[in-house]
Amino acid sequence: MSGVLTADAVIVGAGVLGAAAAHHLARAGHRVVILERGAPGREGSGTTAGNLHIQAVHSQRPGQEVPLDNARFLPLQRAASERWETLEEELGASVELRRSGGFTVAETPGQHAELVEKHAWETGAGIPTEVLDGDAARAALPQLGPTVIAATWCALDGYANPLKVTPAYLSSAARSGARTHPYSPVRRIDRHREGWRVTAGRDGGLVVDTPVVVDTAGPWLGRVAAMAGAALRMSPVAIQMHSTVRLPPILPHLVQHIGEGLSVKQVAAGNLLIGGGWPARTLDLEGRSLPSLASLHGNVRLAARVLPFLADLRLLRMWAGPLAATPDEMPLIGEVPGLPGFLVAGGTYAFTFAPLWGETLRCLAESKPPPVDIADLGPGRLMDHADHQADHQADHQEERNTQC
Amino acid sequence: MTADHWNEPSGAPETVTRDVLIVGGGPAGLSAAERLAAAGLTVTLVDEQPELGGQYYRRPAPAVAERWGDHRPEGGALVERVRAAGAECRTRHTVWGVDDDGRTLLAVDGEGRPVRLRGRYLIIATGAYERVLPFPGWQLPGVATPGFAQHLAASEHTPIGERVLVAGSGPFLLPVACSLVDLGVTVVGVAEAGTPYRPRPAALGALRHPARLRELAGYVTRLARARVPIWQGHSVVRAEGTDRVSSVTVAAVGDPAAARTFLVDALCVGYGFRPQTDLARMLGCDVRTDAVTGDATPVTDPRGRTSRPGVYVIGEAAGIGGAPTARARGLLAAFDILIREGRPPARRDLLRAGAALRGLARFTELTGRLFPSPARLTSSLVPPLPGDTMICRCEAVTAREIRAVAGEAEVPAPVDVNAVKARTRAGMGPCQGRECGVAVAALVRSVAGRTTDANVFPARTPIRPIPLRALLATETTPETTPKTTPGASPDALGPATPQEERP
Amino acid sequence: MTRTGTGTPPRTATITVDGRPLTVVDGVSVAAALVGDGRWTLRRNPVSGEPRGPFCGMGVCLECEVTIDDRAGVRACLTRVRPGMRVGTGGGDDGDR
Repeated sequence: MSGVLTADAVIVGAGVLGAAAAHHLARAGHRVVILERGAPGREGSGTTAGNLHIQAVHSQRPGQEVPLDNARFLPLQRAASERWETLEEELGASVELRRSGGFTVAETPGQHAELVEKHAWETGAGIPTEVLDGDAARAALPQLGPTVIAATWCALDGYANPLKVTPAYLSSAARSGARTHPYSPVRRIDRHREGWRVTAGRDGGLVVDTPVVVDTAGPWLGRVAAMAGAALRMSPVAIQMHSTVRLPPILPHLVQHIGEGLSVKQVAAGNLLIGGGWPARTLDLEGRSLPSLASLHGNVRLAARVLPFLADLRLLRMWAGPLAATPDEMPLIGEVPGLPGFLVAGGTYAFTFAPLWGETLRCLAESKPPPVDIADLGPGRLMDHADHQADHQADHQEERNTQC
Repeated sequence: MTADHWNEPSGAPETVTRDVLIVGGGPAGLSAAERLAAAGLTVTLVDEQPELGGQYYRRPAPAVAERWGDHRPEGGALVERVRAAGAECRTRHTVWGVDDDGRTLLAVDGEGRPVRLRGRYLIIATGAYERVLPFPGWQLPGVATPGFAQHLAASEHTPIGERVLVAGSGPFLLPVACSLVDLGVTVVGVAEAGTPYRPRPAALGALRHPARLRELAGYVTRLARARVPIWQGHSVVRAEGTDRVSSVTVAAVGDPAAARTFLVDALCVGYGFRPQTDLARMLGCDVRTDAVTGDATPVTDPRGRTSRPGVYVIGEAAGIGGAPTARARGLLAAFDILIREGRPPARRDLLRAGAALRGLARFTELTGRLFPSPARLTSSLVPPLPGDTMICRCEAVTAREIRAVAGEAEVPAPVDVNAVKARTRAGMGPCQGRECGVAVAALVRSVAGRTTDANVFPARTPIRPIPLRALLATETTPETTPKTTPGASPDALGPATPQEERP
Repeated sequence: MTRTGTGTPPRTATITVDGRPLTVVDGVSVAAALVGDGRWTLRRNPVSGEPRGPFCGMGVCLECEVTIDDRAGVRACLTRVRPGMRVGTGGGDDGDR
């Protein structure tokens, strides 16, 4: 067992949020240690669609019970969009960023009305969008099928390659002195003097003292917070993505749906990625989540209805990955009440928000004001009042021995 | 048109329900199908190929057989007996996945239409595919596997080239070279990476299998008569050419200085066979990694039973053993099902089949000792490959790129092969890592020392790329009257529980 | 089925390859028809643009995909020729006919 390390911040989870936080913290001169239970960027951040959602999103995945609050999301999306603009330059690396714009389609009059309503919010939030009727949408994107009666165009929608984003953030953090420890699951988190002592590694041999812990552990976020004494109500799910065989460039824009779960885009390598938040068959945090054939059928049928040319293509593979969803479907970011220096960040749309949350976490760690208003997005809303206890030693004895 | 009235392109997919569903029409699947259908069970056998026979009994086109004869008439006879026994045979059917109930198989037929297949018993006889290892120039047109050369020669009377070199390792190289000689091809030589044809203590065990030894010796003699050299301890260093291979360089393993270059117009390189286990793994069968071959093989008992109730894996898919072994395994699985169905075979048939299987297993073991183990070959031939060797053919990823990513870790830790795949795209192309996966893992291991992920590139749906159109049919109608034996026992597969895919 | 053949000329079929007629033994695989005609480049790799042709001969490697009767992405090694079949080579990706 090596000696106890010290750091200015310990980040738990080397997915895109943890990596972004590491980059911002390390670049600001803080000593950062990142603890990852497995391989960096492998879970949600390795399986996500990689979409950059800038116009208002479809508020409910297939099977999602609580709709998200679109109006609240929009200013966050705008702030994220500004940060994606300069990300590749900031990281000194390509992440296959494409900001070629996107359409959100409607097939029914009710959905058309939703597009009109959200256009007003988008305008209010400073996000430029335009509602087109079906013919105008098809003139702009001929691949759209006859069932589309209206679509919102947003020039800022796009995507990046998630398999490049997390490594690019981690490399940048490393250049500023951050160290990543893969295959080092966190075993305990204890109060230590004014801060925290985090114990990790298969044999608990990695011990780090730090004033700040950043819990960006995705589907394990709740488990990690419990080690520190906070019971957060999280509701992780598994969703799936589908990829076609490569083809020459044919779809220049992201296509989504306002009323149903759909996102279709063509990535740099030429494959078309079809998603939309359809539920996987199982969520398995210890192995690999299994995709569902029923979701495959549903997702593809919807996609081929909106973009009929897809019917001529071939499916190459499909995969499932976790979403660190919250019960109210809103993002999670902030310091845990009663646990000074213990920060959490998670929730859906983490990929779009990563540059924004990375910067926000640095501000929180430095006790500075965040770049956007996050007061209503903190973890307190996911906790019962009784759990805001400073003294957790006796109450959570078994959680402390839980391997994450 | 509104969303509600959009017309689906085709009707509901067909659902086939039988007593026994067999995937794979090679020696194992055919043997099982014949016995089960003859006993009166309803049997459907599906195969991806346009004709039954699998690889070993691949049928010659009728026009070829009429003119030049049938190199394996026993295969044709078996196919006829299977059909005569009443088994329904569906060719050009590709099974690509397992439905959410964990046991309904999903397939597309030759026209791209979806078909759902259910059986009270599932027999997986998906055979094997050739083990290949990259070398500089292996992606050139004209470079292929010995199996392709054999099919061209035996089933289609077509020489793969005029001047051909055969290389790799394993007992299959010699009969392929002989087939080419019979066609009038100039076989420049056979480069075997091991030294199986020199007398060694291990070869003494071969004396207990004189028939098999005679077969190998026969090939050696025929090649000697045709003046085809066999270079032992040699492997291909590189293939060269512009739009087609025009030369190949061969050297002693580990001694590239002693190299010789030959003009060729085709090159066949292969290192034996690997079981095709995607479907078995998707059904949730336990697998174990064979230390000698490095392949993950389903765990089966001598009757072919797996860890999943009602699911059998037979033939090469259960482990490489050759066609006679595959037929014996097919027979034993059929017998086991008949016993479960209350129609046991004659006791002496059962005993004979079991004894045959045990005898054959000893030959397989002997062959394994004569030739170098695939795992060792991989670890000796792959790490020295030059940086510009294309490792992943589909995505054109070089050894240099793979080594660079594998060597990037800042802290010593086992490197995740799947992470290397994600960063380089190696294994993400149409063949999904089947040709390059083993080599990618070997490269990563040689750079990083340790890797995670014992199973390289786990089985994913779909097993082959499938047309999206096949997924657009409406929901299944209630099943057409299932054709199962009247009074059959309740679903032998038991309650359907989704199985975790083994990583 | 006997082991030896009759010696009479085999039945043939005429297909077209990239618009030009090719006469082959009826029922051989499209891969055999093309390779027998000396034609090994069946397509281009979509990443490197290099010429590619049949490799595994049994449907696993997907290197031998050609367009048959206007359907792209068909494995030549798993398809038997029929009289009048139209074969197109040189495609690089799905949808690239």
